[in-house]
Amino acid sequence: MEGAPRLLICAPTGEGRGLAAAAAAVAVAATPVDGQQSRTLLLDLRADARAPRGTVFAGAGARELEERCRASEALRGVARGRLCFAVPEPAAGLEAAEALGEALHGSLGVDLVVAVCDRAGFRTLLAAGIDHRPAVLVKATRGDDRPLIALLAAELREAGAPFKVWVPPIGAIGGRRALGGLEPGGESGRRAERLASVLVPGRAGSREPHRQPGRLRAERAQALPAILGIAILIVAVGLILAAIGGAATAKGRLQRGADLAAISAARSMRDDFSRLFVPAILPNGAPNPAHLSHTQYLDRARAVAVVAAERNDLGPELIDVDFPDSGSFAPLRVRVGIEAQIGLDGDTGAAAGAEASAVAKAEVTLAAGSGSGGAPKVASGGGYSGPLAYRQGKPMRPDVAAAFDRMAAAAQGAGVTLVINSAFRSDAEQQRLWNANPDPRWVAPPGTSLHRCGTELDLGTSSAYGWLAANASRFGFVQRYSWEAWHYGYTAGPAPCSAAGDRVAGAEADGGSGGGPGLPGFVPSRFRAPLLAAAARHDVSAALLAAQLMAESNFNPNAISPAGAQGIAQFMPATAAAYGLRDPFDPVAAIDAQGRLMGELLEQFGSVELALAAYNAGPGAVSACDCVPPYPETQAYVARILALLDGAGDLLGGPPALEVRLIA
Amino acid sequence: MAERLRSPAGQAQLELIAGLPLLGLAALIALQLLAVGYAQSLADGAAEAGAIAAADGRDAAAAARAGLPGWAERRVEVDVDGGRVAIELQPPALLPGLGGHLGVGSEAWARPESG
Repeated sequence: MEGAPRLLICAPTGEGRGLAAAAAAVAVAATPVDGQQSRTLLLDLRADARAPRGTVFAGAGARELEERCRASEALRGVARGRLCFAVPEPAAGLEAAEALGEALHGSLGVDLVVAVCDRAGFRTLLAAGIDHRPAVLVKATRGDDRPLIALLAAELREAGAPFKVWVPPIGAIGGRRALGGLEPGGESGRRAERLASVLVPGRAGSREPHRQPGRLRAERAQALPAILGIAILIVAVGLILAAIGGAATAKGRLQRGADLAAISAARSMRDDFSRLFVPAILPNGAPNPAHLSHTQYLDRARAVAVVAAERNDLGPELIDVDFPDSGSFAPLRVRVGIEAQIGLDGDTGAAAGAEASAVAKAEVTLAAGSGSGGAPKVASGGGYSGPLAYRQGKPMRPDVAAAFDRMAAAAQGAGVTLVINSAFRSDAEQQRLWNANPDPRWVAPPGTSLHRCGTELDLGTSSAYGWLAANASRFGFVQRYSWEAWHYGYTAGPAPCSAAGDRVAGAEADGGSGGGPGLPGFVPSRFRAPLLAAAARHDVSAALLAAQLMAESNFNPNAISPAGAQGIAQFMPATAAAYGLRDPFDPVAAIDAQGRLMGELLEQFGSVELALAAYNAGPGAVSACDCVPPYPETQAYVARILALLDGAGDLLGGPPALEVRLIA
Repeated sequence: MAERLRSPAGQAQLELIAGLPLLGLAALIALQLLAVGYAQSLADGAAEAGAIAAADGRDAAAAARAGLPGWAERRVEVDVDGGRVAIELQPPALLPGLGGHLGVGSEAWARPESG
């Protein structure tokens, strides 16, 4: 602020509208508000200039200049805002150049003189102020003579004088504010600041930068940092997603390990299942290597689960195996829980990291479609009530099936293929045949056909008749009737429809372990007679009833289930009353009622699976879907009994159709 | 024009244009990472499906392939050995020169039907 005052000359082109406002705006911009007082004199040297009135608010510097103007008597000054507006004192009669000289060199002590002139006075003022290295601001309006301005610019540039042109209108409000010595604001304010920083450098620059809240300062060349920031953000988000994904993968692997361990254990149970029902002792008194105890069965399943966990990269110490139905005689469900720490690198282990756990349940269940569509495994409704073996889809007594296998193999060797057209037929099926063709020459009346005994086969094709006639007897088959070249009966085993025939499978499967006639080895001796009696009275397989008792109560006459089922056959009190069973804990009466109920259910549903399901879940649930209802308990019940029947006679067509599946 | 390029606003535009490839590259890298991660989780699921099928006596390779979306059909190798199902999956390569180096693998085991 010390030293010679700076000079800015403001001149118009054209009519010079807005000149004073533009000059005032630049003068304001070049007048710092902070710190030391700054004295800017806006000297209006135009011919028609008149002093404005003072304002209430004026800076200290402006007030000081106003005082000094009064003292000088050469100028008339008025403080307005940050500026002191001055005109030559008419009484002094000064020329414009003299007035300027007074302002610059007099006793005013100004820092900056902004001299406003008209076109006529411009050259004179420029010459008068040339010692002060004047800067020049030209207020032009659109449509002014641009070549003229260009000429002036070139001339001033040569003289080394800063030169700027203000073209746009300053606006009514901005102009009024500027003429009041205040920042005009808005675009004009910014323009005034820019011009001031060029024309009067070192003045405007000391001021606080003009703030523009809410507006991105794009002109400040900040694209590169922004782009780098966005790129880093993308990579960071990617890394976070990768970390989340890694944790999800690790959690998924944990669940997968639990699933696979559970399904593997179920597989083991499904493979070992029938070995639970193999007699523990061989006929020669040695332990049966094929037999598995309940504990061995579960231990093997548990071991397989651990192996599966290990082979799927989970430590055996992380896995917890239990069997929800381990209380039953043949558990079919397994639950595997895994708890581990998941590290950020996605590895699983017991080391530090986030705690995670997974649980999987698997079960052995009846294969879909083996319910209503499945063929009965035990004959009923005919003269034979033992287990059935199937050859070419046709049911027959197991010893007949074995003999047929030998005969068919021999026939194959001779180039003859045997086809079974019919085998065991229940009385109901015979009735249907009879109804269709009630002629005793062709169809035996119901109850009289030997087909109800499971020993008779209707064989084909006609090209095989010759071979059969010559060779069937070698395998125990005889042609029953001379007029039926296809009908062969098996005579090497027990007589058709005899009690011995019913026992044939049981005797073979038991291997002489003392199970008794027609009954598997697990039946306690005191229940054999009641079972056989009930089976005979209600025409139900004794092996089936025995398997049920095993599954229901393990032959405990005093058993009570959590659901309230009572006694050896686990009758609910209401069912017991319906079947005239006064004391469900009386085993003989209970077994008879069970035989009666099963006989009715077999007749109603025509399939052992459905009858068993109805026994367990109630006939309503079964007839509603004509299937084994999808209750885990019922499914497991049916599967267990079918497996028990398998154990009772593995001449049946293989193990029951069981599958393993995840249930949770 | 020269005046415009020298102005701060022009500078910002230049930097924006120069930075676009960088942004694109960052986005591609992020997408590639996602593709690899997704492929990994697909491979895990397919291997599990295959192993469970093996445990139930079904066709493990077919079950594993059934667990994959269509685009993966020609990008997957399934190796079944008893109850072990190994999956090799090639995720799509978004960046040139990466094809063949991105393969993810997953292996699962369950006790097979025959024990």
